[in-house]
Amino acid sequence: MANFILRKAEPNDVSDILRMIKELAKYEEMEEQVILTEKELLEDGFGDHPFYHCFVGEVPKEKQSSEGFTVVAFAMYYFTYDPWIGKLLYLEDFYVMEEFRGFGMGSHILRLLSETAVKTRCSSMHFIVAENNTPSIEFYKRRGASDLSSEEGWRLFAIDKEDLKKMTTPK
Amino acid sequence: MDFKIRAAKQEDCKEISRMIIELAVFEKMQDQVKISTQELERDGFCSNPRFECQVAEVSEEHKSSQGYTVVGYTLYFYTYSTWMGPTVFMEDLYVMPEYRGKGIGKGLMSKVAQVGKEHQCSRLQLTVLDWNTRSLDFYIMKGARDMTASEGWHALRFDGEALDKLAAEAPKD
Repeated sequence: MANFILRKAEPNDVSDILRMIKELAKYEEMEEQVILTEKELLEDGFGDHPFYHCFVGEVPKEKQSSEGFTVVAFAMYYFTYDPWIGKLLYLEDFYVMEEFRGFGMGSHILRLLSETAVKTRCSSMHFIVAENNTPSIEFYKRRGASDLSSEEGWRLFAIDKEDLKKMTTPK
Repeated sequence: MDFKIRAAKQEDCKEISRMIIELAVFEKMQDQVKISTQELERDGFCSNPRFECQVAEVSEEHKSSQGYTVVGYTLYFYTYSTWMGPTVFMEDLYVMPEYRGKGIGKGLMSKVAQVGKEHQCSRLQLTVLDWNTRSLDFYIMKGARDMTASEGWHALRFDGEALDKLAAEAPKD
């Protein structure tokens, strides 16, 4: 299957994007953690101050998925900052529906992202991967990615709402 | 000792640059610091700032042994989780060694939590080096969960040649 297009996501795509966010979370065995709604995705990505940017992969109608979807891949990213090297492109989610893997769509998306990074003067592209996700880790390492957690010892920490509230409450 | 936490101004970039290098030295990675004060000014104080910064300031009478009154900083930006929406990422948190143990670190971090709350952020994320036990303890005491240990998340990166190579192979429009 050679034909697919990669394009910037549009407001009409939010339903497909949320569907694929949930599919990816399910693959990562964390789908109950997705609480975002279509309305929030729409406001957050297509309002006055977008929090994120998104590309989608689309196939023609005759190649639609077994359930009738033509938007079959997405990549969501935003810009972050490293005080050592400057602007970075952060890849938040990157997903190709299972039945459309192995045809080069993922590679194309990754290349488009890296081209975007270079065009926007980013020194690096960062992202996280779960260590048990061997296919993804190999996909990235084959293309030259370094694992900062293994190589430099960086660990990711998160502080959630309840504990954040405690921090802002004066004693 | 009294200290003030306030939003950084463009003039603070020289002090922030100094402390960025001090933190990098502590993290044993000072050779990775490529950015200049001018770039920090450009990226943080333009019409579309890439980050925000809070600084901790003491009065003249409490200035450091080298004469500095800006003695701590935190640099952070807004990110997005496809699971829960807006989040805040605390990229750097640093207090000069002679000013530690006085609540400055806690003050800076609380400010980030407060600003995050104002921006509807449901989570604050950060990374810490695995040997940095003092920092690990500091964050864990505030409720931070180690997502690398508990869920296996690893931070990956494409940079330099790897990024250029990948970009050169990008599909043409």
